[in-house]
Amino acid sequence: MLNIISVSENENDILVLEGEVDASNSVLIDEAIMKLIEEGSKSILINGHKLEYISSAGLGVFMSYLEDFEEKNVDFKIFGLSDQVFEVFKILGLHQLMNIYPSKEVALNS
Amino acid sequence: MIKLPSIHVGKLSLLLAILVWLALLFVDLVRLFAILNEMESGIPVEFTWVLEILFFLMVYLFYSYSISKNTDSEFINLIWRAASTGIFAIGVSALIFLFYGSISESRLAQEPFLRNFFYHINFALTTSFLISTALLWKHLILYQRSKRVIKQWQAYEFAMLVAMFFIFFNQNTLDYSFLFGLVLLIGLGIVLSSNLKWIPYLTFRDKWKSLLFLFIILFSCTFLFVQMQGYSDQAIYPVNLTDNLFLVSLFGFIFSYALFSFLVTLFNLPTSSVFEQKLTEAISFQRLSQSIKAEENEEQVLDILMDSCMSASYSDGAWMEMGKEEYPDGYLIERFLDSGTREDLSVLIETSKTAQDWISQNQSENLTPLLIRVNHPTCESLLLVPLIINKIPIGRMVLCKEVKDGFNKEMVNIISTFVSQACISVENHRLLNQAILNERYQEELKIAQRVQKSLLPTKLDHNSAFDLCAFSNAADEVGGDYYDTYRLDEDRYVLIIGDVSGKGTSAAFHMAQMKGIFQSLIQLNPSPAEFFIKANAALSKCLERNHFITSSIFLINTAEKNISHARAGHVPTLFYQSKSNKSDFLEIEGLGLGILRNMQYQNHVEQKIFTFNSGDVLLLFTDGIVEAKNQKSQQFGYERIRTLLEVNHDLCPSDIQNKIITALHEFVGGDGKIDDDYSLVVAKFN
Repeated sequence: MLNIISVSENENDILVLEGEVDASNSVLIDEAIMKLIEEGSKSILINGHKLEYISSAGLGVFMSYLEDFEEKNVDFKIFGLSDQVFEVFKILGLHQLMNIYPSKEVALNS
Repeated sequence: MIKLPSIHVGKLSLLLAILVWLALLFVDLVRLFAILNEMESGIPVEFTWVLEILFFLMVYLFYSYSISKNTDSEFINLIWRAASTGIFAIGVSALIFLFYGSISESRLAQEPFLRNFFYHINFALTTSFLISTALLWKHLILYQRSKRVIKQWQAYEFAMLVAMFFIFFNQNTLDYSFLFGLVLLIGLGIVLSSNLKWIPYLTFRDKWKSLLFLFIILFSCTFLFVQMQGYSDQAIYPVNLTDNLFLVSLFGFIFSYALFSFLVTLFNLPTSSVFEQKLTEAISFQRLSQSIKAEENEEQVLDILMDSCMSASYSDGAWMEMGKEEYPDGYLIERFLDSGTREDLSVLIETSKTAQDWISQNQSENLTPLLIRVNHPTCESLLLVPLIINKIPIGRMVLCKEVKDGFNKEMVNIISTFVSQACISVENHRLLNQAILNERYQEELKIAQRVQKSLLPTKLDHNSAFDLCAFSNAADEVGGDYYDTYRLDEDRYVLIIGDVSGKGTSAAFHMAQMKGIFQSLIQLNPSPAEFFIKANAALSKCLERNHFITSSIFLINTAEKNISHARAGHVPTLFYQSKSNKSDFLEIEGLGLGILRNMQYQNHVEQKIFTFNSGDVLLLFTDGIVEAKNQKSQQFGYERIRTLLEVNHDLCPSDIQNKIITALHEFVGGDGKIDDDYSLVVAKFN
């Protein structure tokens, strides 16, 4: 089960992910990010406080936008990941490519 | 043993009937001779009666045999048979009459023997006509058998049998007992005559024919009866054969049944088209309800539907149009309509208020046929029928009639039935096709599974310095896990494990690419880091945008007893060291393949080297193992597998592998299904 809530705070668009991301629902995240990019968002944040699990397919979604973010100058940040989920990002090496922060405050101030 | 020839009932009874008739004739002629010569013949009259009864029975046997042999006869043929017998009997009588007319002057006309001879012929023919017609009536009466009708018929037959012997009782005189018997038998005959269920099944043409035949039968019956009465008062016939209760009541029965049939058929004529229509509807329904055969298609069913609905409602024109989703090229059948009229009518439907209300008030799956009145020179009433399959409207059929309010309730009902039946047929056809297609996909997947299994090595390359074993299991038919080995030279071996993101068919294709890349690049003898840099460059060109591959590669040098390795985003590899009796995950940085698709990648890959000793164990696995969840949604995790290796390091590689797999399944519990691909490779150094 995955629940995505899109919140807009000052220039920042925050996607709150709740539950588990696997191959069957990763397309929802894809759609949500796609929508924000099309709307011309310049700052996208992922709130992972309630993200319990992410599969490789879910990571594939973030990964597939890395070039788009760079091209369109979108500031993309992830924060609030649990240790377990962060570990998944880290194993794949994504922590070297993405801006992952412990909390929202840190993410916004960096 | 003497073999008895098989008895042919038909021939035998005919022969016996003729013999009995001849005997009868002979006896009567002898008696006549005696009377004429005023002698006593010495033959009691009972003898004649016995022969007469025998004759009746033989004729009955013969006809019941010959009619039952032609059971397939249609009603019209049966009636014709009776009518033709009647015509024959009349014809013979007419010839006899003519014969007497021509010789009326001669002495021969007064010849009593000749007269008696002809009397016997007439008697025989009348009897044949009566008995055969009665048996044909039996066939018609018992067309729709019920217990009651069969009982009635049996009672009638029994009463007729008694009537044959009645002659012994009343000595052939016309008394009250005769009249009583006659009334009783004719009453029974009239009761039987109400069984006319065969008439509605005649077609309009056959009804006319049967009217003619029945008329002939009525005429024959009357003629023969009158003729028979003519004999009764003449003294030259020594024994009266025809004033017989059996024959007279048969006359009554045949006449009443023929009369009833005649009248009922006559009055059925105007409504016969309705019955025929109902039969056509039943046949249409049957055609629609038959499942579509493999060589047929939906269009044929829709075609039959159109024809059936048009004939059921006597429509003057109709068309059917299918939705764009089902038929992208559009599908339209027009019947007795030109496209101009159709377009005019379509516009009238769109603008009609009833149609708009109808659409707005109903859910699309609950739409029922709608009657619309329109003002158009060639069409004043329309019936709009939606075609709904699986709750989705797929099109509509419009029936047109020139007259106002041309569709009655029965027509709408039968059309609704036709349409729903046709829709069920089409739906079944689609489901069947779907099932066949699924079956084929299953077959294809089985082939894919076989091909993929062959991509994993059956023989693992190693030398005496270490033992190897490996295992891989896909969550679906095919999976994205990969392991392989390669022998560079006698001391250097390569182990690789990989995991394509996602699972199933797309993962399986990328896994095959990975195998190709490994087998070609490794020939160039690259260092582990070089291998990943090149593999990343190659995979960047072939992986889908949101797919990546994680992998770990190990170059084992058994001469120098060291292993150099690199990791590309893969789950860390577990290494058990016998010296410290501990197992740890190898720590090394490295980015998954296909994530960075440019030369930047080389900044994100590391290479390390470590030494191994005897008893050390290297355990490669994929994330399917550590991410496997139990019913409480807990993951198997890294700690469990680490402990398992520490506990079981003494065992041989295949036993270590089995321990881990068993533990994994025990952990997952339930049906033991792990919904990701998982693999492991165990290398133990000697």
